[in-house]
Amino acid sequence: MILVVGLSYRTAPVEVRERVATSDMPSVLARLSSRKELRESMFISTCNRVEVFAEASSGDGAADAVAAIAEELSHGSSLDRHEIAQHLYDKADIDAVRHIFRVASSLESMVVGEPQILGQIKNAYEAATTAGSVGQLLSRSIERSFQVAKRVRSETALGVGLVSVSSVAVDLARNVFGDLKQAVVLLVGAGEMGEAAAKSLGRDARELRITNRNPQRAIDLARATSATAVPFEALEDELVRADIVVVSTASETYVINPDLVKRAMKRRKGRMLLFVDIAVPRNVDPRVHKIDNVYVFDIDDLESQVKEAMAARHGEVSRAEKIVEEEVDLFQKWLLGRNVTPAVIALRERAREVFLTELERSLNGRLRHLTESDRAALTQMVESAVKKHLHLPTARLRESAVQGKASDLAASLRYLFDLEELEDRLKQSGAMPAASAEVSTEVDVAPVDNEGDGRIH
Amino acid sequence: MLTPFVADALFAITAAIYLIASSVFLVHLLGKTGLSDRAVQFAARAIGIGAVFHAGHIVVASLVLHVCPVEGMHFAMSVVSMLACIAYAFARLRYKVDLIGAFVGPFALTFLVGSRAVAERSEFSPRFTGAILPIHIATLMLGYALFTLAFGAAVLYLVQERRLKNKQLGSVGQRLPPLDALDKAELRFLLFGFPFLTIGILAGTVFARSAEVGSDVSRLPALFRAILGYLTWLIFALVLLLRVVAGWRGRRAAYGIIAGFVVAMTVMAIYLLRTPPVISP
Repeated sequence: MILVVGLSYRTAPVEVRERVATSDMPSVLARLSSRKELRESMFISTCNRVEVFAEASSGDGAADAVAAIAEELSHGSSLDRHEIAQHLYDKADIDAVRHIFRVASSLESMVVGEPQILGQIKNAYEAATTAGSVGQLLSRSIERSFQVAKRVRSETALGVGLVSVSSVAVDLARNVFGDLKQAVVLLVGAGEMGEAAAKSLGRDARELRITNRNPQRAIDLARATSATAVPFEALEDELVRADIVVVSTASETYVINPDLVKRAMKRRKGRMLLFVDIAVPRNVDPRVHKIDNVYVFDIDDLESQVKEAMAARHGEVSRAEKIVEEEVDLFQKWLLGRNVTPAVIALRERAREVFLTELERSLNGRLRHLTESDRAALTQMVESAVKKHLHLPTARLRESAVQGKASDLAASLRYLFDLEELEDRLKQSGAMPAASAEVSTEVDVAPVDNEGDGRIH
Repeated sequence: MLTPFVADALFAITAAIYLIASSVFLVHLLGKTGLSDRAVQFAARAIGIGAVFHAGHIVVASLVLHVCPVEGMHFAMSVVSMLACIAYAFARLRYKVDLIGAFVGPFALTFLVGSRAVAERSEFSPRFTGAILPIHIATLMLGYALFTLAFGAAVLYLVQERRLKNKQLGSVGQRLPPLDALDKAELRFLLFGFPFLTIGILAGTVFARSAEVGSDVSRLPALFRAILGYLTWLIFALVLLLRVVAGWRGRRAAYGIIAGFVVAMTVMAIYLLRTPPVISP
């Protein structure tokens, strides 16, 4: 049974997450592998999510497995089991699979559609493969999750146009200045919002300068962001120097008025100037926008952009969820079909054994006169007779597996045809394919690997 | 080997390439969602490749027809558009303004095909004496090619500027080059083109004084042409001067460039519409 146990930004504050998160994958994996409650395990740790994907050793050992994982998670952190327990969630079976698919597709991310999570899962999977802690069931679900993420990315626009007020501001700045390498960003007022926008603009910019009515605040913030603090009285000079001005003061009146900007523009020789006004109430007189080569965008402009982009993405989320559900259904069919697969193979093998033994006997006795090609034809006939004869029972068995009613049927089959011992024998001889392989019947309910190669992408 | 067929084949290939590139740009700009960066890059490169075939066409065609490429209006038009494409191919490596191709592509296609139509009508072939006239034509063609690019950048600038001023922040604007890049590109094209224009106009003036040309009636368009030529120079000179002295950037510079280009194109149109045979300029 597949299990997911972990915590995320939804259930745990950052103070807790940062204490549980670790980059030391190998030792966590080693500890997980050593737990007898777990057959397979994998560990993923990002700043928003710390989770263990695992398979419980036995069907009814799920609770023990969850407890074991919780113990290991608290082991690595400085939190005791009870502290960590209140933040943990656990999911089992198909819900766990759904969770894995959703995480990989970035539907569970704080910023839905962000692309990093897939890479993080791939890394975690690679680490687990290297450590040898994943087996066939987890591999199958994780690799499938990569395919699901790929489908979501190619069939929806979920990851397109990720937006926040800051990213819209950056986009606008790019519309005016192209790449921002040569741009000087000036932050007027050291409010929290302004700080965020100035930071994302300043990241690529040549220089970030900060001014504030209370100079100490500017100096503190400048120190924290490796920016330059400048006196508020020199605002006009700073407007001459800057290219992008983020304004975010607590002032109730306009801080930037047209006369000030006109004077600055004269000294700038007409070089373009962009104001991003995220203060409420506004700090930049809207008439400034009318000045040639000056552009003013206020919080409403930015937010309407954010809303527009979010609205466009809303439909994408439900489309992505639909894809995930489709894939979860397919996977569930495979999971269920997987339980009856050994019985089906053994049944077929049993029938073949009986018929071929009889045939062999006849070929060595009464049918000894047959030519080589006749013998081959007879063998062929027996093989296909077995196949045809068992087709209906096989199909019925798989159908009932999909409906979750197969275990009794499979048990009856095992009893009636004495398959138990044969299954073991086949498993040992390697004739029983790994459970990920499907027995080919016309009613093949196993998920088909769309990409065909089954590799990690 | 150099048969009219080869010239025609090169013509057809060039036209096809320009057509494809233009279509990609137009679909990218006018479509509901933009095309990928790769598609745009493909179109931009195609214009450069088209220019190579275009050059081939001009060389072969002039050898077949035994006409010096800079001699007749037929080739002059074609050459200007080819030079614009070559200048574009180099400029896009530096200035990241691939989208000017949305203007250069259709422009080149029009001039390439248009030159053929004109060639079929007029058959003037002036005989030069001295180097003045070829210099006049060649420098002007180079200047025109660069002004074409400046004009394309100016138009895109105005579209992008309008969009930002009206706060129409939809997806179309994301596909346009940034304002600053367009503004800089305008200036560069203008700065490179202006010396050629100056030399071209000086050479034209010298030639006109030395040559006894045409009758009184045919002098009138020539005079008009000359005035417009000087006007072109004046407009571009003013755009450059005001930019440096008074900081006339952006919108005003773009309008200036568009005005200058329109006047320059009028001069070209007068050349095209004049009644042959008249000797240049």
